[in-house]
Amino acid sequence: MEKRRAEGVHAEEDSAAGLHGTIQMPLEIRVHGRGGQGGVTCAKLIAAVYARTGLYVQTFGDYGAERSGAPVRAFTRVDHLPIKNRNKVYHPDHLLVLDSGLLGPLVLEGVSSGSVLLVNSTDSAESLADQFPSFKLGVIDATAIAREHGIGTSAVVIINTTIVGSYARMLDLPMAAVEYVYSSLGLSDDLAAAHEAYDSVVILPVRQPGGKGNPIAPVQVPIPPVLPQTEHCLDIPTTLQTGTWSSQTPSYQEYEAPCNRACPAGNDVVGFIQALKNDGPEAAAEVLLKTQPLPSVCGRVCPAPCMTECNRKFLDGAVNIRSLERWISGRAQVQLEKKQPLLKKDFAVVGSGPAGLSAAYHLTLEGHRVVVYEKMAMAGGVLRYGIPRYRLPDDMLHRDLDRIIALGVTFRYNHPLDRAGLLKLHDEYDGVIVCKGFGDAYAIGVAGEDLGGVEQGLDYLAGSKESIRQLGGTVLVVGGGNTAIDCARSALRSGASSVKLIYRRSREEMPAIAEEVEEACREGVQVLTWRQPVGFVGNKTVCGVVLAEVDPGPPGKDGRRTPVITDRTFELDCNTVLLALGQDRKLNLLPDSWRIEEARAWEEENPLNVWFAGDCRTGDGTVAHAIGHGRMTAYSALADIDTSPAAGYAEKVYKSVVAPAHIRFSHFPVIPPHSDRHRSVSSYQNNFEEVNLGLSGQEEAERCFSCGRCTFCDTCLVYCPDGVIYRTETGYRIDEAYCKGCGICVVECPRRAMEMHEK
Amino acid sequence: MPVELISANQAAALSATLAGRANRTGRGFCSGVYPITPATECMEYLCAQEIEKSRVVRVESEHSAMGVCIGGAATGARTFTTTSSNGLAYMAENCITAASLRLPVVMVVANRTMGPPWNIWADHGDSLMMRDSGWIQFYCADNQEVFDTVLCAFRLAEDPQVLTPFMICMDGFTLSHTIAQTKVPEQKEVDRFLPPTSIPHQLGRIPHALGQIELSSQVAAHRAQHHNALLGAEKVYKTVQDSFEQIFNRRPAEPVVAYRLEDAETVIISMGTIGATAEQAVDKLRQQGVKAGSLRVRMFRPFPADRLRSLLRGKMFVAVIDRDISLGFGGILWGELRGLAEPGAVVQNYIAGIGGGDVRPGHIRDIVAELKHRSVSAAPVIMEELL
Repeated sequence: MEKRRAEGVHAEEDSAAGLHGTIQMPLEIRVHGRGGQGGVTCAKLIAAVYARTGLYVQTFGDYGAERSGAPVRAFTRVDHLPIKNRNKVYHPDHLLVLDSGLLGPLVLEGVSSGSVLLVNSTDSAESLADQFPSFKLGVIDATAIAREHGIGTSAVVIINTTIVGSYARMLDLPMAAVEYVYSSLGLSDDLAAAHEAYDSVVILPVRQPGGKGNPIAPVQVPIPPVLPQTEHCLDIPTTLQTGTWSSQTPSYQEYEAPCNRACPAGNDVVGFIQALKNDGPEAAAEVLLKTQPLPSVCGRVCPAPCMTECNRKFLDGAVNIRSLERWISGRAQVQLEKKQPLLKKDFAVVGSGPAGLSAAYHLTLEGHRVVVYEKMAMAGGVLRYGIPRYRLPDDMLHRDLDRIIALGVTFRYNHPLDRAGLLKLHDEYDGVIVCKGFGDAYAIGVAGEDLGGVEQGLDYLAGSKESIRQLGGTVLVVGGGNTAIDCARSALRSGASSVKLIYRRSREEMPAIAEEVEEACREGVQVLTWRQPVGFVGNKTVCGVVLAEVDPGPPGKDGRRTPVITDRTFELDCNTVLLALGQDRKLNLLPDSWRIEEARAWEEENPLNVWFAGDCRTGDGTVAHAIGHGRMTAYSALADIDTSPAAGYAEKVYKSVVAPAHIRFSHFPVIPPHSDRHRSVSSYQNNFEEVNLGLSGQEEAERCFSCGRCTFCDTCLVYCPDGVIYRTETGYRIDEAYCKGCGICVVECPRRAMEMHEK
Repeated sequence: MPVELISANQAAALSATLAGRANRTGRGFCSGVYPITPATECMEYLCAQEIEKSRVVRVESEHSAMGVCIGGAATGARTFTTTSSNGLAYMAENCITAASLRLPVVMVVANRTMGPPWNIWADHGDSLMMRDSGWIQFYCADNQEVFDTVLCAFRLAEDPQVLTPFMICMDGFTLSHTIAQTKVPEQKEVDRFLPPTSIPHQLGRIPHALGQIELSSQVAAHRAQHHNALLGAEKVYKTVQDSFEQIFNRRPAEPVVAYRLEDAETVIISMGTIGATAEQAVDKLRQQGVKAGSLRVRMFRPFPADRLRSLLRGKMFVAVIDRDISLGFGGILWGELRGLAEPGAVVQNYIAGIGGGDVRPGHIRDIVAELKHRSVSAAPVIMEELL
C-alpha cells in the first residue's frame, strides 16, 4: 500500500498537539487483548489521540460472542484523508499485545518485519527481543503500573489507559494530546499511570531487518466441511479448546443446608428427605437412623428448628420436615448394621430418656456392649412419663424402643442410682454415660403452696400416663413451657370444666412449641399472660389463687424483659393448680472428690471414664438436643477410650451454610406446604387419642430445595452454553478442555451445589 | 461545528435526539425501544438523553416498540426507534401498519443476519425483507452519513408530499460499532432544519379512527397514493439536500453515489459499507490501469431507476455486489438493477459478505478481474470463502 508522509498535519489544529515525528500514513493498528481487559477502549484511545493531532481516524472492535478472558481484537486506522476502508486490519503497522500470554502465530499474523510491536509483559525486553528480532519492540509491565495506580479491581486490572502512555512514547506522540483525550473522556485519574508507562517503557530497535512486504503468513485454521443444515444438528463441543483463556473453573461442591445446621439431633435432613423422594421410606430411614434412634418420637414432638431455618420459607413456606420424619418412621422397618470394633468395650448408661437412649444406641451401633440402668419400671424417661399420649402414643414410643432393644441394648429397670452406685458402675465398666435428665421440679415459693390440689405438673402428667385421673372444675396451670401446655391439654381431657394457663410473660415469649400453644387454645385452654400467682387460698384444699399483674421490666441477661410483679392483684377461683415452672439440673450423684469438665468427670488431674449427657448436662430441654448430645458424648467417650488409630468419629465439617441468597427461587414452582391432618373430636373428655394424624402422603418431600446438595437436576447441563457438562454414573463431568469458565452453571444451580474457583 | 468521536449507533441516537428536541414546540418526541444486538447501543444512548417533552418507552418487544411509535406519530410526536435482524421480523406487522397509516416514523436498522443459524454480523437480509412494506430505505456507508441521513429522514418522512416512514440502514458492527469523527450541528441549526411535526391526520381532542376497513377500489386508490408518494420522494429529497446544505454548510450524500464513474469501463454496484470499500478498491484498480468505477445505491426505496439507468448508460461490465440473497432468486439489488443496464451489458451478480463476511478491497478487485472474463451474465456467484 502506498505510504505517505504525515508531516503536513492539518493546519487548523493546535500545533502543540501535533505530531512530533513522522509516521507513515495510512496507518493500521491492531490491539490484542482478552475480553474484559479494555482492548476496544485502548484502540479508541489511540484513535482519539491521533484525532487530536488532526488526523482522520476509524476504530472498532472485532465483536463476537466472546466472554471474559477470551482473546479479542480491536483495530484503529489513521490517515490524513477520510478513511473509506470498512473492514478488519490484516496487515497492521503497529501491534499492541495487552497480554503476553497471547503472543503467538495467530496474534502476529500479517505483521511485516520492521513493524512496531508493543507488549505488556513481565518478561525482560531482551528476552522478548530474542523472540521478535525483526520488530521495533516496546516492552512494558503495564499490569504492575495499573495495579499500583489502582485501575480496575484487584482481580481484573485494566491496563488500556496505562499502555497508551507507552505507545505515545514509542511513536513520539505528544503527551499533551493524550492528556486532552483522557480529560475529555473522564479518564484524568489514569493519566499518572500513562505518564509512568511513558517513562518506563523499554524500546528496542529492529535487530534483524527483514524485507518489507514479507508479512508473517496467516495461520491456516482448518475449517471443517459445512454440513447440510438438515444434518448440522451437533454443534457441541466446539472445535476450539479453551486452552489458557479461562482463569476459573466450576466444580461440584457440597454445602451445609440450614436445616442440617439447625438440627440439634444432628440429623442429615436434606439426606433423608432426598432419600425419601428418590428411593422411598426405607432408604430415608437408613439415613435418619444414622443419627437418630427416635424418629417416631421426634417426628411428633420436636420443635423443629430445621423448619424455622428452612430456606423454602422465603418462597412459599418451610418444608414440613417434622412430619416427613414421622412419615418415614411409620413406614420403614430398618435396622442399621452394627460395626465390628477392634476392641469391644462395655458401657453403662444411666437413664433411658432420649439422651440415654441415643448414647446407648450409638455405642451399640459402633459395636460395643451397653447396659442401660433405669430407675423406673419401663424405659423412655420423659418420653414415657412426661409427654401425654395424645402427642406421643405408647405404641409409637415402643416402635423406637423395640428397635433399640433389638439392636442389642440391655435394660435394667427399677435401678435407681446413688453416689455409691455410680462409683460401682465406674469400677465395673469401661465407660459410664450419665443421662439422668433434669432434677427436681421448681417450687413456686408462695403462701398456700402445700394446700391440697396444688401439685407439680410433671407428677400429674406421670400419673395420668398410668391411668386417667379425673379433675373437676377449674384447673390452673402455671408456666409457659411444653410441660405447662401438656398439663393444660391433659387437664382438658380429664374432666376439667375450665383450664387456664398463667404465664408471667407474653404469649410470644412462651418457650413451648408455638403449634402446641395454638392447639391448646383451639381446644379451649384460656391463656392469661403477664400474670403471676402470689398466693393460694383455701382450707386444706385450694379453692382460689391470688394473681398479681406483671409488668415488663428492664431486659435481663438473655435479652428478655424481666417480669416485675406488681401489687395489682385479683383472686381467681380454682379447684386444681398444676405447677410447670421448670426443673433444676442438680445431679446429686458425684462423689465429693469428682468434678465435671467438658461433660467428663475428673478426679484431681485424672480424667475418669464417666461422661454426662443430655439435660443433666446441657439443660436444653428438647428431645432433639438430648439425642444430639447423647450421640456426641458417646462418640467423644469412644474417642477418649478407644486408642486404636481407626477411631474417627468426627462429624462432617462444611465451609458454609446455604443462605436464601444462594437459592435460585425462580427455578422452583410455588407449592404451598402440605399440612398435617388433624382428628376432629367432638369432645376431648377422656380422649387421649393422638390428635395430629401427620401427612397423607410423601409429596411434601418434593418441596425440599436440597440446599447445598446436588440432585442431578441437569440445570447445569442445560444451561452450559458450550455443552461441556456430561452425565456420569455418579454425577456430572465438566470437560475442562472446552469449559470457558463463564460460571453460568454455578449461577444457575438452583441449590448451591457448585462453586467457581481459580484455575 | 463540533466534531465528536462516536460510533454510528451513537451518531444515530444523537441525531434522533436533536430532531426530537426540535419538536419541543410541537407535540414533542416519542420512542418505543427494545434492545437487540447490534442496535442496542443506539437504544441505550437514546435512553440516556434528556429530551424535553418526550417519552422513550422501554417496551417488552419490538412489536410493541413500533406500536409506541405508531401511537406517538399519530398524535403528532416526532418518533424514532431502532432494531435489527429478527427484531425487525418481529416488528414487521406494525411496520406495515405505520407505513399504511402514512405515519412518519423514523427507524435505524443495524443490518444483521437473519437467524438461524445465529450470527450477529452484517447482512442486508433483514431490512430488505421489508422492501415492499411502503417504507423509504436508505443504506449508509459511514458515521457522518448515518447522522445526516437520520436528520434528513425526519424532514423527508414528515414532508406532506411524502408522509411515509423512513428506514436508515447501517451494516451491523462494521458501521454500527465503528467509531469515527462525526460533525454534530448545534440544536438551533437543527431547529431551523426541522420545523415542528405536523401531519394532516393527527389525532387531537376529537376521536377518530385510522386504518378503517376498505373496499377493493379504495385499497387500490390508497396504494396508488402511497406508491406515488414514494416515487415522488426522490424529488423531495433534493429539496431536503438543498435545505440541509443551506443550514449546515455541507451537502448530504446523493441517492446514488457515483465514484470515478465517468470513464469507467467496469462498474461495481453495491450498498452500505461495501460501497466505501469499493471506492478504495477502485483507486487501487485505477493505479493498476483498470478503468473501474463505483456506484453506491444509498436510496433503495423509492428505487432510483431513472437515475441508475442514466448512470449505467454505456457501461458494458457491471458487477452487482449483494450483501443479501433472495433465496431461489439471487441478489436483491441485482434483481432490481439488471433491467436498467445498457442492452448487451454483462450484469453479473456477486453475493458477498453475507453472514458478516469481511469484504476487503482485494475481494472487490478479484470480482472485477473475474468479471472481465465474462462475455455474458451468468447465474449469481455466491462467494462463500469470505470470513
